[in-house]
Formats: sequence, structure tokens, C-alpha cells
Amino acid sequence: MNTSLHRLAVIGAGAALAGGLLTACGSSGSDATGSGTPVKGGTIVYAHEQEPPCIFGGWIQQAYISRQVLDGLVTEDDNNAVKPWLATSWKVSPDGRTYTFTLKPGVKFTDGTPLDAAAVAYNFDYWENKGGNSTAKVSMDPYYKSAKALDPTHVQINLTSRYTPFLTLITQGYFGIQSPTALKNHSQQQNCEKPVGSGAFTVADWKHGQEVILKRNPNYTSWPATAEHQGPAIVNEVDWKFVADGVTRYSSLTTGQSNVVYDVPTTDWAQARSKFDTTLYITPGKPVSAYLNTIKGVFTDKLVRQAFSYGADRKAAVETGFHGVIPYEGNGAVSQATPDYDAAAGAAYAYDPKKTGELLDQAGWTGRNSAGYRTKDGKELDVKFPYPAGAVINAEGSTVLQVLQQQWKKVGFNVKLIPATQAEVFSGKYSGPDAYDATPFYWTSPSPSILWIVWRPSTTADPNGNNESFYNNAQLGQVINGANTATDPAKAAALYKQAQQIISDNAATLPLYDQNSTYATSKSLKDFWLEKSQGEPVFSDAYFVK
Amino acid sequence: MTALSVPPTRAWTLDRVSGLRARPGTVVALAVVAFIVLAALVPGLLTSHSPNAIDLQHSLGKPSLAHPFGTDAAGRDLFTRVVYGTRQSLGIGLGATALAMFIAIVLGFSAGLAGGWVDVVITRVLEVAFAFPVLLLALLLISIRGPSMGTELIAVGIGSAPGYARMVRGQVLNVRESGYVEAAGALGHPRRTVIRRHLFPNAMRPLVAVMTLGVGQSIVWASGLAFLGLGVAPPSPEWGALLDSGRDYITTQWWLEILPGLLIVVVALAVTSLGRTLQHRLEGASR
Repeated sequence: MNTSLHRLAVIGAGAALAGGLLTACGSSGSDATGSGTPVKGGTIVYAHEQEPPCIFGGWIQQAYISRQVLDGLVTEDDNNAVKPWLATSWKVSPDGRTYTFTLKPGVKFTDGTPLDAAAVAYNFDYWENKGGNSTAKVSMDPYYKSAKALDPTHVQINLTSRYTPFLTLITQGYFGIQSPTALKNHSQQQNCEKPVGSGAFTVADWKHGQEVILKRNPNYTSWPATAEHQGPAIVNEVDWKFVADGVTRYSSLTTGQSNVVYDVPTTDWAQARSKFDTTLYITPGKPVSAYLNTIKGVFTDKLVRQAFSYGADRKAAVETGFHGVIPYEGNGAVSQATPDYDAAAGAAYAYDPKKTGELLDQAGWTGRNSAGYRTKDGKELDVKFPYPAGAVINAEGSTVLQVLQQQWKKVGFNVKLIPATQAEVFSGKYSGPDAYDATPFYWTSPSPSILWIVWRPSTTADPNGNNESFYNNAQLGQVINGANTATDPAKAAALYKQAQQIISDNAATLPLYDQNSTYATSKSLKDFWLEKSQGEPVFSDAYFVK
Repeated sequence: MTALSVPPTRAWTLDRVSGLRARPGTVVALAVVAFIVLAALVPGLLTSHSPNAIDLQHSLGKPSLAHPFGTDAAGRDLFTRVVYGTRQSLGIGLGATALAMFIAIVLGFSAGLAGGWVDVVITRVLEVAFAFPVLLLALLLISIRGPSMGTELIAVGIGSAPGYARMVRGQVLNVRESGYVEAAGALGHPRRTVIRRHLFPNAMRPLVAVMTLGVGQSIVWASGLAFLGLGVAPPSPEWGALLDSGRDYITTQWWLEILPGLLIVVVALAVTSLGRTLQHRLEGASR
């Protein structure tokens, strides 16, 4: 994987699915619930923030839009149960290594070719072996072995060992099935801009820098078990606009130029709740937490990492910076919306500047220079802290970091915040052990097996470029693998929690806040919803009322 | 752009400029400039707060007696941040203009005095550079060097240099052909003396006003870059960075965006107004 793709994967992978906490906050406006006459047709104007490089890919922003065009084998319901989609049923062999899916018969891609077992097997091979989707790949590595079409409606996926989270993981949008004919015959650019799937919409046009026009697929037959209605999309078109600025995005809703907006500025949240239908989704997976570089610089010393964690009131900073809308997250390994979340790890390192002082003394950072920063052997306690500004850490997140910076200053850390542009992040400028002491990222996933992707030890034989704290702990790797392959859910949960404790005890990451999606929807639009695994917006059930 | 007409005159002196006190607009402009110079040199005189002091209990406070510009999301006093941001914004404005003028003088005088192929080469290069938008050049530099105050200064300085250089060249050519320079040569003054005593002061005189105008323009450009998130690192209170961080609050806590924005406008207006007055005075003096 090249660096830029890798970074895409890192950011995007943050996009994982499942155990998200979906809170529909009904508004208290006069047009209360569902009143009005439903109408067929119309165009939903949706204002999103980030414009991805391609419709389909390993970034969560790509999963959000590719879900409109591509269907998956299975999906997740609000109780984290895996439900049918393209696969009507499935069987798992007793040793947990073989999954046999029965496909819904007669489904066709929008290019007219059949969505059969051979097509599904082709897609698995495409993701795993042909660079089709970096996040799909790391979600299955090293457990994936092969995929085989048994007959037109039965496909078999073989794993190298039991991998309990497998079904949950393939509910994510990274596992959307594309037409093999299009993948083989269309140019890379065509597949990037107009991937061919069997979904409720097709990509009609992509006006770069402006919008993607999604047109209703009138022949849609493959809605998921979780759909609100059965049949093709009710509206004719979705105009998926890219509006990077939060104020402009929200204003587009208040002025009636759009019907749905993503990532409402938290300062407008109270007003949005009173005027529109709103949704706050806490994304499961790794929250926004900073990787601490454990192999180079000041954070090679565990005591200093712990001192850093105690040294700022992250909870108060997050609550103020996000105006009480986005929750503080004390568990840097997984967010509170993730199954098998360990609350004890989440409560660790509450603000304690005295403890920071003791730990720094113990670590030998006993001096103070004229600027008030701690020193050791004449060297200042410097922390280089680049962060992906904009697409990952928005303006409110940046305020949180600036608050923490001042608090760390008081306890002797000189934290240098470096806002990195999206281009710098994707080019890998701030990758590798020489580039930072701390850097924040999220990586969403519906399963605590995200721990495997992020914390699996990196070895020469089996490097793990996603372990960006460079924290190699063989015991941690064994615990997570034990959880991934456990047959007993209770045992798996205990092991996943143990892994979170190890990460917390060693302060290998600095927890900040939960990755999330906020949405505000015009009251004239009904049945717009987010799927559970990672909050992909679903427009195929939505309809207007008048 | 045409060269300004420059009959010979003594170099301007302050007493010549002093006539501008009669104009109220100029007095206001002078007061604004004096205020920002004071803020840049001794910010502690104007406020007792620290620009980075966090006060989470009083975040997003409205303008009040205690906080004339209100407080931001982190509870920092916005007036204090504006005052402390002056040094950087003014520094970038002055520094970028000085850099631009230095480049312009070197290139403009080389082209104007040497003539021939040197002039042709420099003029062509300037034409190409002139066609290159300042913002694009700045983005290029920032992508190479990373965002910082130094990069902003260099980017804006280099970006605005071609315009000045063409003006300098025009002035040099104009003054070089004037009768008093020819007379000085005919009288046997060494070339160096002619350049130092006649050519340089007379070619540069009209540019003093242009430079003043440039400072205002540079502040606006630098603020624009910072507004795009390409300026100095946080928690710097550089004016454009304040605008950038206030953007999300424009509909809810207007003061975070409007007050720094107004300040940039007022300062750019004041500096520009002074530049214009200076220009008129100097032109008037030479009539």
C-alpha cells in the first residue's frame, strides 16, 4: 500500500461500522411527526462536507457515498445483529473457517449483468488481492483465505482460522459489491467516478468540487432487511453536494437550499434541534485519540506518556470545545459505542496535574527553564503535535487542542500544534516515527476487532503500518487475536476489554473525543436514516411530505 | 502601468507631509496606525490579559466591559488576542512589503540601468511572474515549506514583488532620461554619484506611497492565507487566524468573526488612506 493510500485507509478506516449509538433527537417544532401527505419523486439536496477522491474506497467518507450505489452481503440492525441483504441466509462451519452465503436470486447490476456467487467471489478477491479496498483488506487480514462460487446463488468464503467478527465487519460499506464486468472492462477512472453496483441509486454525474448526482435505480430489487420500505427509492434523485464550510452547510438548510446536512457545527446544534429533525450518531471503533510515538522522542518513556495523559483536563476541554454536544472519550482504544467497551479504561487518567508532576520527577524531567517548561539534562520537554486539520479535526476540535496545549504548558510540556492540510496528510508528510510525538486520528469499526488493525505488533515479517504509536507488545497482540478467534462471546469480550486495559495502562494513545456524525433534516423529508455499522446515510427510503 | 511623472525635487521631508493634519480622515488614519504600532510594540500597555489564557467558565462571552470584544470558545479574551496579533499581522505586512521592495529595487534598477538583454530577460521574467496569482504562489510555497509566519511573509513578499519591480524599472527609465540626470552626467559627475544622488531618490520617491499602500494589501493577503488555515500555527492570534476560528460562530457569536474582520478592514483602510495622502502630498510637492 502506498503512503497516501495508507493514510486514506487510516482516516477512512476510522469509518468502521457497527455498535454505534444512534440517537434520534426528535424536534419539538410545531410540525411534529410525520404530518403531511407523502409524495413520490422529487430531489433530495444533501450537503456533505468532504469530497472523496473516488466514490468507492477505504475512507469512511467513501463508504458513506458508495452505499448509495452498492449493496453489501449483509447489514447490521440497531441491536448490532447481522441481518440479510444480498445474502438471504448464511451458514458457518463448526470450526468457524467457512462461511457459505445464499444469495438473493435474480439480482442484477445496473449494467444488466447478474449479481451472482461468481461476482461476489470476484469482489472478495478484488478487495484482498487487487488493491480494491485497503480497509476491506486490513479488516480481513490475515484471516481471509479465499472465496469460491459453489453455484450461482451460493458463495463460500474460507478463512485461515476462526474469526468471529467477520460477519459484523463485512456489514461496512467497504464491502459493497461491484459489477465484475465493469471492474474488468471500464477504465480505472470510470470505476472511480461511476462504480457499477446493484444499489438503489446510480451515479449519473460527478461535478468535481460541487456535487455528485445520484439517480434512482428503477429496477432496484435488493434492499436490505433493515429497509423502511420495500421497492426502489421513492425520490428520483439525490444531489450529494460538497460544502466544506460548516456555517455555509448549515445555512443551506436554514435557507431551504438543502434538505439534509451533515456535520452540523455544534454551536448551531441547539437551534437545529428546535427547528429540524436531528440525529447524533456516535461512531464505533477507535475514537479521536492521539497516537503517542513510543519508539522515538519523549514518549518512549511510559512515565512521560502517563504524565501527559494526566496533565490536561481533556474532559472539560472537549465539553467546552464542542458545546456539550460531542462526548468526551476517555478510552483511547475504542469508543463508547463499540461493543465490549471497557468503561474502566475510559475512566483512567482523569485530570491530575499533581500526579503529572510526580511522574515527570520520577522520569527525570526535574528541571524548569525560564519559559516554565520541564527539562532533563538541559533538554526541553517538547511535544511535536501535528494534526489533520479540517477533514478530521474540525475547528471545534482545534479549539480543544489549543485548550489542552495551555494546560500542558502549565505542567511543563511545550506542545507544538501543527495543523496539517489534507494534502500534507495524504502525502504522508506526517507519517513515520520521525514526524511526530503525538498525532490524533480516528478509525471507525463496528467491532472491537479494530484493536487488531491498530495495535497488532509490527514485525519485520509482518509489518503493521497502522500501529502508529509504534507500540509493539506481543502480549497485547495475543490477547486481541485470542478475542478474534474465541468461540465464547463472553470470553471474547473479556479479552477485548483486557486489550483496552493494556493500551490504557501503557498510555499508548491519548484519548480525546468520540468520532461522530451529526445530521439535521428538513421536516418535509421523512424516513431518512443512518445504518448502524458506521452511520452511512440511507436515502432509498426517504420521501417528501407536503 | 505607466511610470509616474517625476520632475526633479528635493527629497521629501516630514514638514512637507505635515500639511495632512488638516484632513480629519488622515488624522483618524494616523490614530489607527499609531494604535496598531503601539499594540505591536507594547501590547501589555493596552490589555492586562494574556492572549492564550484559557477560561473555560467564561467561553463565548458577549462583548462587555471586562471583555470589550467578548471571549472565544476557549474563554480567551478576544480584544487581547487582537492586540497581541497586531505584531504578527503588522510584521507580515511590513516584512512582506520590504521584501517585495528589495526584490523590486534589485530587479528594477538592474533592468533600468543595464538595458539591453538584461532588461529584456528581467522584463520577460517579470511579465511571467506578474501573470502568476499571488495566492497561487503562496500556496505553492506553503506546500513546500509548510505554513508559518516566515512562509507567509516570503510568499506575500515574492508574490507582490513583480508589480513593484515593473514600477521601479519604469521610474528608473523615466528619471534616467530626464534633463537633470543628463546635466549631471554632462557636468562630469561620476556615474555612481549620479545614481546615488539623483537617480535613486527621484526614482524611489513616488514608490514610498505605493509601499505604504502595499503594507495594507499585504496584511489583507496574509490574513486571507491564515483564514484558509495556511498561516501561523495555533494558538497564534494572527488576525486571519482569528477570522478563521471565528468562522463557525458567525451566526451565533457574531463578535468572534465581525470584530477581527472589522479591524482588518479599518487597519487596511487607514494604511491605504495614509498611503494615498502621502502620494498626493508627494505629487503635489513635485508640481
